[in-house]
Amino acid sequence: MLKFPKSAALAVLGLTALATPSLADGDAGAGEKVFKKCAACHAVGDGAKHKVGPELNDVFGRTAGSAEGYKYSNAMSEAGQGGLVWDAETLSTYLAKPKDMIKGTKMAFAGLKKDDDIANVLAYLKTFSQETAAAPAAVEAGETPVETADAGAAVEAAPAAEMVVEKSQGAFGLGRKAMPDEIAAWDIDVRPDGTGLPEGRGTVAEGEPIFVENCAVCHGDFGEGAGRWPVLAGGQDTLRNDRPEKTIGSYWPYLSTVFDYVRRAMPFGNARSLSDDDVYALTAYLMYLNDIVDDEEFELSKENFTSVRLPNEANFIPDDRLSEPHYAKGIEPCMSDCKPGPVKITARAQVIDVTPEGEGDENSGGGID
Amino acid sequence: MVDITDPKRTKQAASRRDFLKAGLLGGAAVAASAGVARAAGDPLITEIQDWNRYLGEGVDVAPYGKPSEFEANVVRRNVPWLTADPVSSINFTPLHELDGIITPNGLCFERHHGGTAVINPADHRLMINGLVDTPLVFTMEDLKRFPRENRVYFLECAANGGMEWRGSQLNGCQFTHGMIHCVVYTGVPLRYLLEEAGVKTNGKWLLAEGADAAAMTRSIPMEKALDDCLVAFKMNGEALRPEQGYPLRLCVPGWEGNMWVKWLRRLEVGDEPWAQREETSKYTDLLANGKARRHTWVMDVKSVITSPSPQAPVTHGKGPLVITGLAWSGNGTIKRVDVTLDGGRTWQTARLDGPSLPKALHRFYLDINWDGSELLLQSRAIDDQGLVQPTKNELRAARGENSIYHNNGIQTWHVNNDGVVENVEVS
Repeated sequence: MLKFPKSAALAVLGLTALATPSLADGDAGAGEKVFKKCAACHAVGDGAKHKVGPELNDVFGRTAGSAEGYKYSNAMSEAGQGGLVWDAETLSTYLAKPKDMIKGTKMAFAGLKKDDDIANVLAYLKTFSQETAAAPAAVEAGETPVETADAGAAVEAAPAAEMVVEKSQGAFGLGRKAMPDEIAAWDIDVRPDGTGLPEGRGTVAEGEPIFVENCAVCHGDFGEGAGRWPVLAGGQDTLRNDRPEKTIGSYWPYLSTVFDYVRRAMPFGNARSLSDDDVYALTAYLMYLNDIVDDEEFELSKENFTSVRLPNEANFIPDDRLSEPHYAKGIEPCMSDCKPGPVKITARAQVIDVTPEGEGDENSGGGID
Repeated sequence: MVDITDPKRTKQAASRRDFLKAGLLGGAAVAASAGVARAAGDPLITEIQDWNRYLGEGVDVAPYGKPSEFEANVVRRNVPWLTADPVSSINFTPLHELDGIITPNGLCFERHHGGTAVINPADHRLMINGLVDTPLVFTMEDLKRFPRENRVYFLECAANGGMEWRGSQLNGCQFTHGMIHCVVYTGVPLRYLLEEAGVKTNGKWLLAEGADAAAMTRSIPMEKALDDCLVAFKMNGEALRPEQGYPLRLCVPGWEGNMWVKWLRRLEVGDEPWAQREETSKYTDLLANGKARRHTWVMDVKSVITSPSPQAPVTHGKGPLVITGLAWSGNGTIKRVDVTLDGGRTWQTARLDGPSLPKALHRFYLDINWDGSELLLQSRAIDDQGLVQPTKNELRAARGENSIYHNNGIQTWHVNNDGVVENVEVS
């Protein structure tokens, strides 16, 4: 549906482009997509609660570090006490390079590189701020024609296939036959032998910017992991150590698992958003971070995928728990005089003091992975 | 039958009420002027309590009932330092506050890897594809037309106790053992669905996949899938809770909880396992020699004393004391539970009470007369295969301290003279 001719829409764009950069440039619809990068840590909208970061309803006009119930960094609290209030200008500066503006902020996000992304995400956030609720509507109205012009063409090019319902031939005759397109939409799993790999390719060099933009916020620029997020690289030869580091390079048995998992579940909070080529490129980049390839021009593709072997593949063994001495069958457990003398306490939980109600929230050893 | 909406009757009742109210006021005046002496005894008995005089709330106040306000502390709890983000995290069942073998739905621990998916059952589909004669799609309505079964099973996270490998750390059985729950499931035997699609002869493995943002996947050997797996839509008689996979989850009895795929949307039949993330990088058990066990599916024989325990201290002093706990095994039923009061020098056999069902929680009791001296409490379960729950040191000797998963070692609670309980380890 095209509300005005395309030339009129372009004229609107031309006018706004002349204006100084401001929220008026932002497209809330496009900003919603940009916000996916934020959504792993921030919630916005009805019922939004604090997550890793504070909820962002009514962030426009909010004093920095003031959202109730959220534990800010000292730096952010101090910025608010110093008079910092979030508006289009301050948020734009912050989102470009958070750590430059607030040294010591908890926000691990490196920043949005593109001015358009910043303008768009702010337009989107503004739709959740009451202060100027009327403004976003105007923004949307101005931008809508351009978007629909593109979308309209795409819809015409791909008419929905007709659904043919074939009954099940089984004993109960329940359910219906799955159609090839339906199976293709959901069956994206990849096995170590390469079964399920899609057509596609990507190089280490292509993977780097994709990683920096989508993955580094949690996994670190070099796969070293931020906070308790998974470490992806390094850790070679640590599996016998007191504190092993289990990464793709040091622990994972198969590269297919990397491809499969990234394609089905990453980036966290925006699954299924990467193209197959992106996933090949990311997988190649992760190989590079783990020193499995050292050539930045190395290209991973469906064709060469199964020739790659991860170093730890041979170290996985079947479940042999029942062969452990304590499970040896036929041993009746001891009932009396089982220990020579009085029993002594050798370890105490209160010494470690990491139980939640004890106010102790410092990190401790062990984990559930 | 009397129609309570009859206006005449309501009017009559009102006038009667007015009369009674007048009488009550008169009576109160008399009592006050007489200045009656306080009766001797417990004022909770000798004085009329508010709840005994005034009316409580009517039947329309809580269409879906909640526990008493005095049970507000009986909740699942999280250990914030354990994971990066509460969206991919875990909370713990308050075992120390529960009895019997069934876990109430709202207290069943949660573990999900991409948050709780919210799915309208009308929009949910289950697909079976891969090595089958006919790939099929079922709606929830279709699934509810297959014959159903009801089964009580425990579900334990493979990482239950994972924080205790290096020594006693968390002070409460909610945290050391609370990644477990046990409910009655209603569902369709998985084999009916697989038979409906027709598994080809080379179909030896099944991939179960969830519809959530983690698209959770696990490989399951076909033998297990055809044995006792269920595709469940009810727990404890009502629809699955959202955090437990509403509207549909897989039950893989006795096996690690991660395989019980929630928001189940797809079952693929194949000839080999898929080596998914949750069966390679996670849910594999690293040993001291650097090797790692994979496909460690069965949850081992295990038990824990739930009370007394650090969050449930002895507050009543010397005399009769109920020691109680839970025992379970992924192999079948629990044959026996022994309890020691002295850290494992002497043991006595506890009393199992309640149903003894395979791959379900079992409740045990040991009723003692506590003399107020220090106790080192332990329980030790033996299952119907004759497997005996090992000590933590036996497990460490065999595996090291970095296995994370499958820690079924014997738990010790130290009870001091005041009844305060602590998580400890003993020689």
